[in-house]
Amino acid sequence: MSDQTPGSEPVREQPVSEPSRSDEGGIGRARLLAALRAKPSRGQLVAGVLCALLGFAVAVQVRANQDAGLSGLRQTDLVRILDDVTERASRLQAEARDLEDTKAKVSGGSSGSLAALEEARQRSQTLGILAGTLAAEGPGIELTISDPEGQVGADVLLDTLQELRDAGGEAFEISAVDGARVRVIASTYISDGDNGGIVVDGVALHSPYRITVIGDSRTLAGALDIPGGVLDVLGQSRAQGTVTQRTAVAIHSLRPTPTPQYARPAPQKTG
Amino acid sequence: MIAVLGLVVGIVGGLFLEPTVPTGLQPYLPIAVVAALDAVFGGLRAVLDGIFDDKVFVVSFVANVLVAALIVYLGDQLGVGSQLSTGVVVVLGIRIFSNAAAIRRHLFQA
Repeated sequence: MSDQTPGSEPVREQPVSEPSRSDEGGIGRARLLAALRAKPSRGQLVAGVLCALLGFAVAVQVRANQDAGLSGLRQTDLVRILDDVTERASRLQAEARDLEDTKAKVSGGSSGSLAALEEARQRSQTLGILAGTLAAEGPGIELTISDPEGQVGADVLLDTLQELRDAGGEAFEISAVDGARVRVIASTYISDGDNGGIVVDGVALHSPYRITVIGDSRTLAGALDIPGGVLDVLGQSRAQGTVTQRTAVAIHSLRPTPTPQYARPAPQKTG
Repeated sequence: MIAVLGLVVGIVGGLFLEPTVPTGLQPYLPIAVVAALDAVFGGLRAVLDGIFDDKVFVVSFVANVLVAALIVYLGDQLGVGSQLSTGVVVVLGIRIFSNAAAIRRHLFQA
């Protein structure tokens, strides 16, 4: 501001006869007091009315400004605000699109990996049942072979297992009725025991034997019952075979998971 | 004294009556208020200078308000309303400051 250079003060409407800058502050205060104490005149009244108008307008404007919405704005301001809002909306929409894409990507990926995981789980279950590392249950049959005279050898039992496998048996267990249980898998061997009975994978079993098979029970039973089939052979050996069809049999004997010592998975050939 | 009383009465009236500003006046009222403030400060300075004349005060008050409103109106018609309003406020603000500086010198010698 032009505090130190009074000559540069803006020109005022009042007919200013430039006051001497040597005015004492006392004089100014005295004039102010005098003005405050002046007798009411018509001019003073008009000035008062104008001041009242000013105060009124100030109060009104302040109040209107406090709760002014968009209604008090100019057209250009409204247009600018509208532009801002539109631009902001489009920016937010773009952002929302990006996020939607990301979400779709992420959830799609996770569902893909979930599906892969589920497939791997099912495959491992299937292989586990085949390899005998998982317990299995389902419909099937129980074949009990009582062989009091020791005429049933390993060959008959092997034929029996083969017949059952051909008939669609999926999981096998062979056991002595009151003894050890052996899960039958692809590499299972059966040999005759030294003093009667048989040896299955190194486990000695003796009569009566029980073979538990999971599969379609009717097909399995039919496969055993055909003329010249397993039951006929057992009858000729003076042994007795009894087939019981069940809606649910359970095989709980397990095999340890084999760890291949030399074989490694080969990379899959495509095409 | 009457002026001060009038100011107080006006403010109180505006606060208690809670009038709404007519839509047509809305762009002009703020500028008019600033212009009137300029006139009041000028009048106060004139009082301290000992040259106050109520006729001059009234005329300058009314003229200030009218000119300010006219400028804003013109600006609105020309499409530069907000810029002109800003300009008017700046100019009036400078004048208010210079008047306030003169008043301060009178009252406080500084």
